[in-house]
Amino acid sequence: MFISKVMTKNVVTIDKDADISTAQEKLSKHGIRHLPVVNENDLLIGIVTDRDIRSALPSSQSTDKDSIAKIASSKVEEIMTRSPISISPLDTIQDALLLLQKNRFGALPVVDDQGKLIGIISTRDLLREFIEVLGLNDPGTLLCLLVEDKIGQMKKIVDAVSEEKISFGSILVSRYWEEGKRAVFPYLLTQNIGPLKTKLKNMGCSLLDPMDWYRDSHPK
Amino acid sequence: MKKTGFLYDERYLLHDTGPNHPEKPERLKAIYRGMEDAGLLSKLTLFQADPADMKWIETIHSKEYIDRFETSCRSGITVFDYPDNQMCAKTFETAVLAVGGVIKAAQKVISGDLDNVFCAVRPPGHHAEHGSAMGFCYFNNVAIAARYLQIECHINRIAIVDIDVHHGNGTQHAFEEDPEIFYYSIHQHPTFAFPGTGRAFESGNGPGTGATRNYPVLPGYGDNEYHGLIQRDLLPVLEHFSPEIILVSTGFDAHVDDDMSDITLSTQGYSRLMERIVALAELYAGGKVISVLEGGYCLERLPELAANHVKILLNQ
Ligand SMILES: [Zn+2]
Repeated sequence: MFISKVMTKNVVTIDKDADISTAQEKLSKHGIRHLPVVNENDLLIGIVTDRDIRSALPSSQSTDKDSIAKIASSKVEEIMTRSPISISPLDTIQDALLLLQKNRFGALPVVDDQGKLIGIISTRDLLREFIEVLGLNDPGTLLCLLVEDKIGQMKKIVDAVSEEKISFGSILVSRYWEEGKRAVFPYLLTQNIGPLKTKLKNMGCSLLDPMDWYRDSHPK
Repeated sequence: MKKTGFLYDERYLLHDTGPNHPEKPERLKAIYRGMEDAGLLSKLTLFQADPADMKWIETIHSKEYIDRFETSCRSGITVFDYPDNQMCAKTFETAVLAVGGVIKAAQKVISGDLDNVFCAVRPPGHHAEHGSAMGFCYFNNVAIAARYLQIECHINRIAIVDIDVHHGNGTQHAFEEDPEIFYYSIHQHPTFAFPGTGRAFESGNGPGTGATRNYPVLPGYGDNEYHGLIQRDLLPVLEHFSPEIILVSTGFDAHVDDDMSDITLSTQGYSRLMERIVALAELYAGGKVISVLEGGYCLERLPELAANHVKILLNQ
C-alpha cells in the first residue's frame, strides 16, 4: 500500500559532475534506466534517464569522433532534469500508478520530507506488487461470476466461499457491458472448485464463460 | 496384444481425505470396476506395490519435507501445507507405496516383463513440489520414477506427457534444468485453472531450455483443440526429442463431465489422445509407456475412461 514498503531502497545514484559516459556505464552495469542525481548531503537535485543520454549523444551514423568524445565527456548536470517530480514514502502505490501514468515516467525518486533521496519506485516494483496483490504466485483457481449490480451480492459470494472453507487469494470486481450486471473474479486458493461452482449456480449466480469476454469483447 | 501391467493395491484406499473431498478412495474402486466390467482383468498383469526406498524419494523431495510429512502424518494432523491436502494417519505410508508401485512398474517395463503399464495410484503426484505438498499431491510419483529410470536404468531421454487438466508444476520444477527429461503438459489455461503455472513461455531453464513445453487450452475447448495440438505440436516436438520411454501423467479431469475444470474433452477425445501417445511410443520408445493416475474426479466417467485407456495400452 505505501511506497516505503514497495520501493527499491539501494538506489544507484550519480554526481552532477560525472560525465555522461560514466552515467551510461552505470545504467548498463545495473540494468536500470534511471539515475537520480544527488549532492553531497544526499539531497535529490535531478534525474537522468537512458533516454536523456541517448538523445544527447549523436546518432550512431555520425563519424565525427571528436564531437562524440566531447559530448560523452560533458557533465550529467547539462542533460539532467532538475527538481524532478518525486514521491514520498508515505504516498501510496495508487498515487505512484497515477503519477507515472500521467507523466509517462518509468520511475519516480522517493524523497523524505527533508528532500533526501531514500529510494526509487519503478514500473518493475509496481508489477511485482501487482502480481503479489493478485495472488498469482499462490496456487489457485480463478472464478468468473456474473451478478446483479445491487447491494449484498458480494456477501453471498463471500459466504458461499467461506462455507466451502476456501481462502481468497484476491477478488476483483469489474464493470460488465450488460447494464445492471457486475463481473466478479475471485481468485481462490484451492484446486477443489467443483462443489463451490455448483453451490453458486444454485444460488442464481451465473458463471461467466471467460471466452465470452474474448469472443464478444466490449460493446462499442 | 501387448503385455500390459495394471498396478492396483487395496492399500491405496487407506489414504482417507475425509468427507466431501473429491480425491477419495472411490475413484480407484471405480477404475477397478471399469476394468472388471470391460472384461479386462484377465488380459492384464495385475501387481501390487512395494514401499519405495526413501533414497529415490529424496531425489525429488527434500529430506526436511519428507520428515515433516511423516511427522505431521503420525501426529494425527489432518491438513498438510494447504487446506486442499486432507490426510489421515495412513497417508504417509500410502504415499510411499504409490511411489514404490510406480518404481516397480518402471522395473517391469525396463526388464521386458511388461510392454507398458497403467498405475492406478493414490495419492496423485504431479503438483507435489520439492519442499511442499500441493493440490492433493504429496510425493511426485512420476518425477521420482523418471529419476529412477535416469539414474538406475541409465535412460538418457525420458518424455513425460502430462494430460491432466491441471499443470504439473511439481514435475516441471523438478526437471526445468534437465535436458534429458522432457516435460510436455497440456492443461487448462493457468489464468483460469489451478495452480496458475504452465504458461506457454515457461520452457525450461539453463541446460534444460527447450525441454519443457506447456500447451495451455482456453476454457470451453475440448476435442478439436486437443486433436489439433497433438498433430501440430505434441507429435513433432516429441519426434524431435525421440524419447526412449514415455511416462504419462494421466488425469481424467479434462473430461466434459468432470467439474474440476472447464475443458470439454469427450470420452472419445481421451481415447484419441492416448492412441497418439501410444503410437508415438511405438515409433520411438519401443512401445514403452508407463501411465500413472493423477486427477479425474467424476466417478460416473472414471470406469469407462480407465477401461478405454487400458484397452489402448493392450492394443486390443
Ligand atoms: Zn488435475
